[in-house]
Amino acid sequence: MKLVLVGVNHRTAPVEVRERLAFPEDRLPEALSALKQDFGCEEALILSTCNRVELLAHPRDGCLRTDRLIDFLYDFHHLQPPCLQPYLYTLSERDTVRHVFRVASSLDSMVIGEPQILGQMKRAYTLASTAGSSGLLLNSLMHRAFHVAKRVRTETRISNSAVSVSYVAVELARKILGELSDRTILIVGAGKMSELAARHLLKSGISKTFVTNRTPAKAEEMAERFDGVALPFEGLLSHLALPDIAIVSTAAEGYVLRKPDMQRVVRERRHRPLFLIDISVPRNIDPAINDIEEVFLYDIDDMQSVIQANLEERRKEAEPAEAIIAEEVDAYVRRAATRQAGSLISALRDRLESICLSELEKNRTALTPDEYARAERMLRTTAHRLAHPFIQQLKNPDGNLNRYQHEVDLIKRVFQLEEEE
Amino acid sequence: MSGLLFNLATFAYAVGLASSAIYFVYRKKPFFDAALVAISIGFGIHTAFLIQRGIATGRCPLIDLRDSLAFFAWAVSLCFFISYVRYRVQALGLFLIPLVALLMLGTFFVRSSPIPEVLRSSWMYFHVLCLALAYGMFFVTFVAGLLYLFQERELKSKKPRTFYYRLPSLDLLDDLFYKFLISGFGFMTLGLMAGIIWAEQKWTNWHTDAKVIAALVTWCIYLALIYLRTSAGWRGKRAAVINVAGFLSVIFTLVSASFLGGLHKF
Repeated sequence: MKLVLVGVNHRTAPVEVRERLAFPEDRLPEALSALKQDFGCEEALILSTCNRVELLAHPRDGCLRTDRLIDFLYDFHHLQPPCLQPYLYTLSERDTVRHVFRVASSLDSMVIGEPQILGQMKRAYTLASTAGSSGLLLNSLMHRAFHVAKRVRTETRISNSAVSVSYVAVELARKILGELSDRTILIVGAGKMSELAARHLLKSGISKTFVTNRTPAKAEEMAERFDGVALPFEGLLSHLALPDIAIVSTAAEGYVLRKPDMQRVVRERRHRPLFLIDISVPRNIDPAINDIEEVFLYDIDDMQSVIQANLEERRKEAEPAEAIIAEEVDAYVRRAATRQAGSLISALRDRLESICLSELEKNRTALTPDEYARAERMLRTTAHRLAHPFIQQLKNPDGNLNRYQHEVDLIKRVFQLEEEE
Repeated sequence: MSGLLFNLATFAYAVGLASSAIYFVYRKKPFFDAALVAISIGFGIHTAFLIQRGIATGRCPLIDLRDSLAFFAWAVSLCFFISYVRYRVQALGLFLIPLVALLMLGTFFVRSSPIPEVLRSSWMYFHVLCLALAYGMFFVTFVAGLLYLFQERELKSKKPRTFYYRLPSLDLLDDLFYKFLISGFGFMTLGLMAGIIWAEQKWTNWHTDAKVIAALVTWCIYLALIYLRTSAGWRGKRAAVINVAGFLSVIFTLVSASFLGGLHKF
């Protein structure tokens, strides 16, 4: 296989170090060709995002040392060794495969399960392909990594729960109201904050939008942008009879909504559930309103606490994801090993045959052509018989892969074989 | 033959119970799928059993209490399938599958004599059929109401835990609750009417029978629930008390004849 990886990420290095090591996209082709030409890489790929910089390579001489990759990092970024030493991690072979699979599946991300990393990896791979630095080995590894990422995403709930305020608003709305098409939203306070919080809700199929604001012009302006209706601020309580979701963010110093008012509104709504979001600081809605049965009131801290719980849920879902990774790494390494065994097997056959036939060749003059032909058939069969137990061993990498690798190395050494990869 | 089919169905339901219990504890999706398959097989065999029994005896296979219990189990699993196909609420299965399995296992322990020949008529079969379906649906209603409370508590607490992630939306649970409430009530009304018509012909003084009174109380409770739901929008916690009362009343109605005696005691 022969794979190595050198990198820094958000856990091993502070942002000052990461940004110092980042590769701007327009300099990537240059960096990749330097890796190939001057730093002994047969194949190379560079993944550079704001949370990680990683060099993935297949060294040309088949040796698993990572110091040339580290040299390259110092050289390319004009840094003095050994300033990077405390931040770098180096991996080889099986660990590299596992790491690449985990990164692609977003298990190594700062926010577990975030979807961007896969796109960034695909981009890095495309750039490596275009630069001609991705060959057989990296192609198969990266394609497998994308497949694993897809498996993890569909088979676990790792990216299911919302981890931003705006998505939490959508998630909670769905938990309360089910489908959001045909639902109505009221935005109280046409400011930047309410727009941010409502952004994903407005995109989630809500059928009607109302906006109200102390300055009517701003309400009009926002309503126009979201294809909604502006309402006068004075009748706020009666407006609250309309929506299924209300986002409140005004500059008021005290509560604009109190419990007795809300109790009247609830009766008027005939106990239809209402999802109230208060993102104003200081709060605009009396927290006691959450005690009213049909009203679900969330302020900004409540949304944060849902985000925390969701992150925890994602971490729990990482467990089955890790199991998938382990399974895939095993399968990948096993396949790579058998692929390698394939070329080794034919080399071994040839070797044994040539040993046997060279003996025959020495005695050629002593044999009639008929005898020679018979002896040749016998010796070929003998060679195959001799090779058979070794081949059986090579074909079935069952059990311990480390031991298998030792066996492969032993056979190679004993018969002086050089298989081409 | 019919004995074998019945035992097979019971066995399949029991497997369903076991794998749904494992699913509940370990949260491994394949176990829920296995439970679903087992229950489907159980339901299929059970249906085959009922048909086979009906052909063999030449009449509707509802002769004694054992039959009724098994038929009730069949009705509950039918309700489970309808609700699962329509709403995909796995949590519902966690309550309904054990009930089906317990009812089936229960049939091995009840002893009862066949109902008198004179009472056997189409009215009687229709009566039992409708009421078994109605009670099965009320059970779904009850569980849906319960799940609604769980999810509502999660949403009110603002500290989401397991239920928040595993249960569907309040809206869906409410819809499930309401649809099964209405259908259950419809079947109960039909069943009671059939019973009354038939009782008028065969019995005197049926008005004072314990089970009849219990059933009428149950019917009134569900009528009240429907009224408050449609006119005042009662759902969730407000509706819960009545929902629980209705469910207890169903249970009481089912067992009332056994210890209060009366015309329904066979």
